[in-house]
Amino acid sequence: MSSTRTRRRVAAAGMAGLAVFAAGCRGGGEDPADGGSGDGDITTDVGVTSEACPDAVNPDNGCIYLGTLSDLTVGPFAPAGPVIVAGQEAFWQRVNEAGGIGGYDIDVTEYVRDNQYNPQVTNQVYQEIKPDILALAQTLGSPPTAAIVEDLEAENIVAAPAGWTSLYLFQDAIIESGPTYCAEAMNGVDYAVETDGAQSVMAVHYAGDYGGDAAAGASIAAEANGIDFANVETTAGTDNQASAIAAIVEQQPDVVVVSTGPADMATIVGQSVAAGFTGTFLGSSPTWNVALLQSPAAPALQAAYQLLGPWAPFDSDTPGHQAMRDAAEAAGATPNEFFLAGWAWSYPLKAALEAAAENGDLTREGLYSAASGLSSVDYEGILPDGSGDYADGADSAAVRVTQLSSPDPSASTGISVTEADLAGPTAEGYEFTEPCYEAVDL
Amino acid sequence: MRDVLLTVIRGLGFGSVYALLAVGFVIIYKSSRVISFAQPALMLAGAVAVSYLAGPVGFFLAVPIAAIGIAMLGWGLERTTIRPMIGRPVFVVAIITLGLDIAIRVVVNVFIGPNVRNVGDPWGLSTVSIAGLPVQERYIAMAVVLVVVGAGLFAFFRYSRYGLAMRASSLDQETALVQGIPVGSMTALAWAMAGGLAAVAGAFVGTGGGVDQSTWVIALKALPAIIIGGLDSIGGAVVGGLLVGLVESFFATYQGEYLPWLGQNFSLVSPYVLLLVVLLVRPYGLFGTREVERV
Repeated sequence: MSSTRTRRRVAAAGMAGLAVFAAGCRGGGEDPADGGSGDGDITTDVGVTSEACPDAVNPDNGCIYLGTLSDLTVGPFAPAGPVIVAGQEAFWQRVNEAGGIGGYDIDVTEYVRDNQYNPQVTNQVYQEIKPDILALAQTLGSPPTAAIVEDLEAENIVAAPAGWTSLYLFQDAIIESGPTYCAEAMNGVDYAVETDGAQSVMAVHYAGDYGGDAAAGASIAAEANGIDFANVETTAGTDNQASAIAAIVEQQPDVVVVSTGPADMATIVGQSVAAGFTGTFLGSSPTWNVALLQSPAAPALQAAYQLLGPWAPFDSDTPGHQAMRDAAEAAGATPNEFFLAGWAWSYPLKAALEAAAENGDLTREGLYSAASGLSSVDYEGILPDGSGDYADGADSAAVRVTQLSSPDPSASTGISVTEADLAGPTAEGYEFTEPCYEAVDL
Repeated sequence: MRDVLLTVIRGLGFGSVYALLAVGFVIIYKSSRVISFAQPALMLAGAVAVSYLAGPVGFFLAVPIAAIGIAMLGWGLERTTIRPMIGRPVFVVAIITLGLDIAIRVVVNVFIGPNVRNVGDPWGLSTVSIAGLPVQERYIAMAVVLVVVGAGLFAFFRYSRYGLAMRASSLDQETALVQGIPVGSMTALAWAMAGGLAAVAGAFVGTGGGVDQSTWVIALKALPAIIIGGLDSIGGAVVGGLLVGLVESFFATYQGEYLPWLGQNFSLVSPYVLLLVVLLVRPYGLFGTREVERV
């Protein structure tokens, strides 16, 4: 009796095991053809199904699910997060409308989660969606990303970041786009020295791998040019900028590299100029917001501020920009630089998916090795040719070209290029061997 | 000397806004013995309301309309979420206000969107010359608003029936009830007044730089102010707010020069240093009521 019961239990456990195994293979689509989709010779595992995506553009295609971990409600980048997500959705919509990749549509809407810019929350929501996604279309913020990056690498999950810190150059799972805050600042300082004969530079910045990265770049460039460097750390909040303003007005540097949020930057520029500061300001890419042109600081910004951008602004004339604007219009999105950023950050993942599909291996491991093997990414002109070289290490992956823009009320995002493709000698000659903010002791 | 005076003016300007916020906290504390952590969200909501209204009706009309609107919101919050908690530990109510804060901010953030919103104030960063000093007009406006609102509050509590009723119910709710004062309505009125004050403060926080989704943090500057002034003293809140503004302004201007070893941005910590010093000397704040307990 007892042995019969044991046998039954073993049999039941065996059946359950088989069921679990079968469920594990569910949608794995080893043979996507049986779902009537996909190329039959593409191997897949997690996050790829032979069934069509929900609301598929191509109902005959299978589906690749990409996750998104963004700051959507209460974090410091909540104003940017939803716009970046919209930019990405528009990007992948266009990919799907062009037929998808390897017989699959790409879905970036099912697994969008709010990371609240909080590492714990990020880890939690990442664990929730991990069993269902092939890769991450977006992981916003380097502190949240740091909470999951080891797991990403262990599980061979490729992720497109939302940010430009030089730390991303050294994280294998991350396929970043555009110059880092560090390289941007180097180019800005080189430009100020070359064109205005600047003799002193001050970095006014938030702590951490955004502001700290830009300040490190400014410091490296100041040393390379043999000019004075001053470091002023500040914290978020328009009411907390008085120290930075006092330092600027008192020390009167020739150029100030600002790496804060838009409202804080406008406060710093507006009030420093009002207090008699006569130098110029170069802002890191996240410092700009079109609404600042309606702010009281607008005259000061138009007179003394320029933006160091990773790529040319929204209105620019490249095939990638044109496609992005068409998609934004179709989606009913307001022109916004973060929409463009969400769009541009997606190109490497598209290239990696195409390469993996080409190799017949859309498994996580297949995608990971395809991404690591990319020696260039076609950004449709948004970034220079040769960008996206992840195959040859961090230094080769680092983009060193910056677009310098000025406030322009006639532009749809309030900014237009004044000096294209800035690549100064400091950035050109600098070897990225570790994150800038760790390489420099400010 | 010029720098010192400019530092004082800036400190008094921002201090006036902190004082308005602090008074809101104190009014709620006096009525229900709870610190409302929803005040930052109400401040943000007020600032955003002004940013929408300033276009059609102008800044000076937008501020009172927003203040009334947010006051009604504060009243509604009290009726729906705080009133049912009467008799519960104040700790529970405080946690509820934290939840309210997050919920309101998430909604308000939708109205802020990705851009910085401008409140449409007429001052911007313009300065006016007073005795040769370039004083920002908005600092003067902030101080004037504090004086006007402060005087109004003083008159209200001193001379009006409702003010008297509010004072009575904050002294002893049971006795006030016996005297026929609707204590619940007084608490709702306190929430409404605090909401209105937060909205006015928010409008002035937004002058000069605009409002974005992170602006709410500024309201927390009122916390050291109310402890310094004494939790249950409206006058103390005003003094505390002004002191916080002054201390912060002086540290921002001079600490880098004279006390560089304290590190950068010590001005942010300075109100809390002042708070510690005050509490060491006067544990109930500068104007707080000393609690006497029979043991």
